[in-house]
Amino acid sequence: MAEHTVAAFDEDLGQISRLISDMGDLAGSMVGGATKALLNSDNALAQRVVSDDAIMDARQRELDDRAITLIAKRQPMADDLRHVVGSIRMAGDLERIGDLAKNIAKRVGTVGLSATPRDLSHSIDAMAQLVLIQVQGVIEEYAARDAAALAKLRADDERIDVKYTSVFRELLTYMMEDPRNITACTHLLFCAKNLERIGDHVTNIAENAYYVLTGTQLPANRPKQDETAMSAPAA
Amino acid sequence: MSTAASLHQSRKRKNGVMMTLCVIAAGIGLAWLALILGALLYKGLAGVSLSVFTEMTPPPGDAGGLLNAIYGSIVMTIIGIIVGTPIGVLAGTYMAEYGRFSKLTTVVRFINDILLSAPSIIIGLFVYELMVRPMGHFSAIAGAVALAILVIPVVVRTTEDMLNLVPNALREAGTAIGAPRWVVIRSVAYRAALSGIVTGILLAIARISGETAPLLFTALNNQFWSSNLNAPMASLPVTIFQFALSPYEEWQQLAWTGALIITLTVLALSIFARSLTGRREDK
Amino acid sequence: MSQMLSPDMTIAAEAVTKAKIEVKNLNFYYGQSKALKDITLSLPERSVTAFIGPSGCGKSTLLRVFNRIYELYPKQTAEGQVLLDGQNILDRSQDLNLLRTKIGMVFQKPTPFPMSIYENIAFGVRLYEKISKAEMDGRVEQALKRAALWTEVKDKLNASGLSLSGGQQQRLCIARTVAVKPEVILLDEPASALDPLSTAKIEELIDELQADYTIVIVTHNMQQAARVSKQTAFMYLGELVEFDRTEKIFTSPREKRTQDYITGRFG
Repeated sequence: MAEHTVAAFDEDLGQISRLISDMGDLAGSMVGGATKALLNSDNALAQRVVSDDAIMDARQRELDDRAITLIAKRQPMADDLRHVVGSIRMAGDLERIGDLAKNIAKRVGTVGLSATPRDLSHSIDAMAQLVLIQVQGVIEEYAARDAAALAKLRADDERIDVKYTSVFRELLTYMMEDPRNITACTHLLFCAKNLERIGDHVTNIAENAYYVLTGTQLPANRPKQDETAMSAPAA
Repeated sequence: MSTAASLHQSRKRKNGVMMTLCVIAAGIGLAWLALILGALLYKGLAGVSLSVFTEMTPPPGDAGGLLNAIYGSIVMTIIGIIVGTPIGVLAGTYMAEYGRFSKLTTVVRFINDILLSAPSIIIGLFVYELMVRPMGHFSAIAGAVALAILVIPVVVRTTEDMLNLVPNALREAGTAIGAPRWVVIRSVAYRAALSGIVTGILLAIARISGETAPLLFTALNNQFWSSNLNAPMASLPVTIFQFALSPYEEWQQLAWTGALIITLTVLALSIFARSLTGRREDK
Repeated sequence: MSQMLSPDMTIAAEAVTKAKIEVKNLNFYYGQSKALKDITLSLPERSVTAFIGPSGCGKSTLLRVFNRIYELYPKQTAEGQVLLDGQNILDRSQDLNLLRTKIGMVFQKPTPFPMSIYENIAFGVRLYEKISKAEMDGRVEQALKRAALWTEVKDKLNASGLSLSGGQQQRLCIARTVAVKPEVILLDEPASALDPLSTAKIEELIDELQADYTIVIVTHNMQQAARVSKQTAFMYLGELVEFDRTEKIFTSPREKRTQDYITGRFG
């Protein structure tokens, strides 16, 4: 991309890009840390994730400030405009991812005491891995300006949804088997739901990034097969 | 540091020398003007009386006035302006409007500039050959024609210049609203350039009202009242020329008074013209 | 979304409104030098079209072809077709004065005629219509109201048009143009010499006028083009680079040159 006639414009845009990439890295490490803390009942790690959320919030506020100042000062157009507005929205999603990771981390203390069945922790681990790949992937592909990969990544959210459905069923089974599992499983259910939500935010980020890069929107409806909404009452 | 300071000093000195020279030169120029005006006022005012404007030019030794000369000057100047102005304005309009980009305009402008600076005596000779000789006698009409020929280049030049000063955007605006060329010229360009063109005409009047040479060969002079355009006619400049060279004191006095009248008239016209352009620039 | 936009220079979304001006393979020359290169585009009726591009890109030249004002100057020639309601206005048989009553123009610098405010407006009307004094009064009032100038000048209609402020003068010029009831209004950087408040008034005016007129505006101010126009043409070095819906041009232009220009990456 050619440089702007006004060099300071490039610097301002660069700072916004850096903030997004920082927030993306932080989101990745928070999601990774939260699931790791959950699976290993690592309270110290959980605590770190909780405190990281404050950094995430501060970054988002800084990005908002910079983006709004840039719009006021430089009236960006076309790809610059998409970049700035897209960044504001991506920052919102990243901040939500941080909140959800923090929510998982907060549950570590409660869940950790009661031993979770090995199969279940394996399922959650697998789901967390999928989510982590998505979170890291979306930031990488955006940095690499790879629109096609972003479109694919968005479609890949389907795998998380499917995984969530199966974790949901598993947790129900455990709760029905032994009512003493209910507390822990409910917390785990929330954690799984949080992971699923994180996947949705990644999807939003991918859609935004795609628009920033190409100027066109991805089709509104993505094929969805999340059955929990339908199957939950039946189950 | 010290070199810079000494350079500054020497520049200041040179500046001082140059300024003094310029002031002296300006002073010399102004001094002559003041002397001329002073002499004119001193000698001319002495002879100013009502009879100057009511009586005819006298025979040598008698008292009299300049009425016939003043009348002749006014008549020939007015005819000269009436004949010369439309031709000048139209030619200037052609050059600035219709023929702005044509070769002819360049040629006309060049010739006009020559005419503008041509000695007026040549114009007099030309009209003498053109009119006086074929007609067999001097006449006021020949004098008026000579003056008209002097008017034309002045008016052409100022009209062209003033029309060229009218912004093209104004012409485009007139055209863009659907006005034909001549309407744009008449209602927009002339209006915008009006005070400039009038100034040019006033300057032309100022110029011809003091001309002597072309009248000597054409209208000659007339010691008596004559309103016949086909006969010789008196005029202030020629009367001054004749009276000033005469040995008679009364005539010499009248010459000074006539000179004062012409000078004041030209001065008044110039001030009026200046005020017109001045008002334009204020906008 | 992008697939919906036809790749040629017509606009699918505007297909319902008919084209007021159609330019076909237009070339324009200043003497030997070619200032417009094979321009083809069509301007929809009752809608604002903006021409943007760097200085010397030909946008003003293109505008000046529409009312053939360029013919005031020698050695300027246009080739090709410019159809106004299907009639080629570049035909030699085209009556220029009549054409210019149909296609009004407002210039970069305000150009009030050196006459009163009233006469400024009556002047154009009088050229092609014989109407009574009362009717003329009505026309003048109507035009000044249309240009949102009436309340400011109604008590001094006999004052010189030059006594108004720059912004008022420009609105007077718009009123003068509207008064002759044109079909198309060409605006050549109408607000570039005005302060922001006067600019806003002119833009508001453009917005109102597009209900009745086909408006073409040339502007250096991209934000202005983005604000006032429905479709935007980007021109560069005498070529029409891109012509599309304004929101498309300013959010995701197709051409890299358009993108570079509107984001400030030129030069």
